[in-house]
Amino acid sequence: MSDLVLENIGKTYANGYHAIPSIDLNIEQGEFIVLVGPSGCGKSTLLRMVAGLETITQGDLLIKGERVNDKEPAARDIAMVFQNYALYPHMSVYDNMAYGLKNRGVNKDEIDTKVNAVAVMLGLEELLSRKPKQLSGGQRQRVAMGRAMVRDPKVFLFDEPLSNLDAKLRVQMRVEIRELQRKLGTTTLYVTHDQVEAMTLADRLVVLNKGHAEQIGTPMELYDRPASTFVAQFIGSPSMNLIPTSVKSEYLQLSVDIRLPCPQLADQKLIWGIRPEHVEICAAEEADVMLNVKAVEALGAETLVHGSLQLGDGNTPNFVVRLAGHHTPKLGERLPLRVPRSAWHLFDAETQQRVEKSCN
Amino acid sequence: MIENRPWLTAISHLSLLLGIAMVALPVWVALVASTHPTEAFGSGEIPLWFGDQAIQNWGAVLFAKAGNGIDVPVWSMMLNSLVMALGITIGKIAISILSAYAIVFFRFPFRGTAFWVIFITLMLPVEVRIVPTYEVVANLDMLNSYSGLVLPLIASATATFLFRQCFMTVPGELVEAARIDGAGPIRFFFDILMPLSRTNIAALFVIMFIYGWNQYLWPLIVTTDDAYYTLVMSIKRMLSVEQGDVEWNQVMVTTLLAMLPPVLVVVGMQKLFVKGLVDAEK
Repeated sequence: MSDLVLENIGKTYANGYHAIPSIDLNIEQGEFIVLVGPSGCGKSTLLRMVAGLETITQGDLLIKGERVNDKEPAARDIAMVFQNYALYPHMSVYDNMAYGLKNRGVNKDEIDTKVNAVAVMLGLEELLSRKPKQLSGGQRQRVAMGRAMVRDPKVFLFDEPLSNLDAKLRVQMRVEIRELQRKLGTTTLYVTHDQVEAMTLADRLVVLNKGHAEQIGTPMELYDRPASTFVAQFIGSPSMNLIPTSVKSEYLQLSVDIRLPCPQLADQKLIWGIRPEHVEICAAEEADVMLNVKAVEALGAETLVHGSLQLGDGNTPNFVVRLAGHHTPKLGERLPLRVPRSAWHLFDAETQQRVEKSCN
Repeated sequence: MIENRPWLTAISHLSLLLGIAMVALPVWVALVASTHPTEAFGSGEIPLWFGDQAIQNWGAVLFAKAGNGIDVPVWSMMLNSLVMALGITIGKIAISILSAYAIVFFRFPFRGTAFWVIFITLMLPVEVRIVPTYEVVANLDMLNSYSGLVLPLIASATATFLFRQCFMTVPGELVEAARIDGAGPIRFFFDILMPLSRTNIAALFVIMFIYGWNQYLWPLIVTTDDAYYTLVMSIKRMLSVEQGDVEWNQVMVTTLLAMLPPVLVVVGMQKLFVKGLVDAEK
């Protein structure tokens, strides 16, 4: 039985604005689901609807088989970690963690055992008597997680919990969250706009765009077979190169000069996509396309080459190539590139949806 | 500002000292005057050093009947003043914190209107509405009673406004966290909101206590029974002597006694007071 079920969930605000038209999602026990999307895509709204902080105007929300649409947040047996931690500033770390239990009428000894157990798990034993003001960002984040864990809820909800931390700490906390979640085995719904966070944490990802789910799947499914140009651009960094083109008499017209054979596709307008890391430098005579180098970003382990493709029809779309190791192409140089057929992605130019390619 | 100009330093110190002297001198005179016999003031010379009548004067004022036809001793009037001041202060804080809570955290029809109606009452202090308010109090049979002294003064737009501003700085996530933690409206109010607005409550307490203690016009109007006289209004009564001399020494004792509680409140709560007005502890 699924742990958390969203059936045709939708949200329409009183002013008639459709924040979320309809979403279906089945989450299994212990699964880590990440909701990801650009700001304003409705991911936080969806999370808050699950939490009970926003009303659900359509569909059913089931937690462990029980419909909880009209239940108060406290009655849904969920716990939430907020972006700004939302710790009670006048309470000590201990009281912050104990507050939810206290309100549920748990007896003192039990609260004490639970809080201490969680504190040990999170390395907060020394800080129990401190106030949130006296803690660093990472420690506050831990307390916020402790407050959620102590209640042992059915579902964890995370609302961009790492976005207030610095880059280094974010990586560290990311690993920690994943580890804890595995250990506790609690079903988790996690909202972020950061695709790296999404990819690394998720068992399954839900990419949201304007309130509807563009694609739901494992990170690798989304990376390998993005269902639309939106997902293609959102997952992976730097994002996928997308170049508008068309198919004419079984050939992909990447340009007038470069015709790549592509049987089995009807004549239509397409968007051709390839990830920067799948492009290879090759000898000039084997080249599929030529890149005019405009900027080079050397990151040590890899080199990003930004430039524009020189296409025969006079089109010069921007193109990014990601090369492993050190490369030092000169600015203005023409770089011959090979684009392996297996790494292509094709999308319908009108619907922006994936077209299953079968051109080899 | 760090400047090293000896003249500037000297002048600023001088003006500060002068300021202190101007404020402190009358208090000093009052203190000195309270230790002299009544006749000392007839001569037209103001004594500047203590006399020998301190104990008699203070004792007489505190425990005997206050002069000029007032039938009760000063300590009982102090008690009245205290009851009124505390009643007004606590009442004002309780009412305004609750109304601010309603306005900020609850969605109900005409919420904005409710706030503006409260806000408009700023334009209606007791002095403006004194006749109708007296009428109401008289009809409710509250003349010469503590409730008559306190109730008409406890609605406060200022305090409501202050609490509203304070509550509006409470982050929405905190409210939601409390909701998820299972804190209902009442728990949230007492467990989260009250402790967070502790310093604001203290600041308001100081302001409102002084306001309540210094009330003159309203007690003058609603009390005719000596048993409900307040200290501040009785001073005026003690001064309006028709025949004979004003007993300045006793008036001064009463004045000093009237000044004492506000001073104590300010001194005792000044740290919290400043904190409440200056920083937001969130």
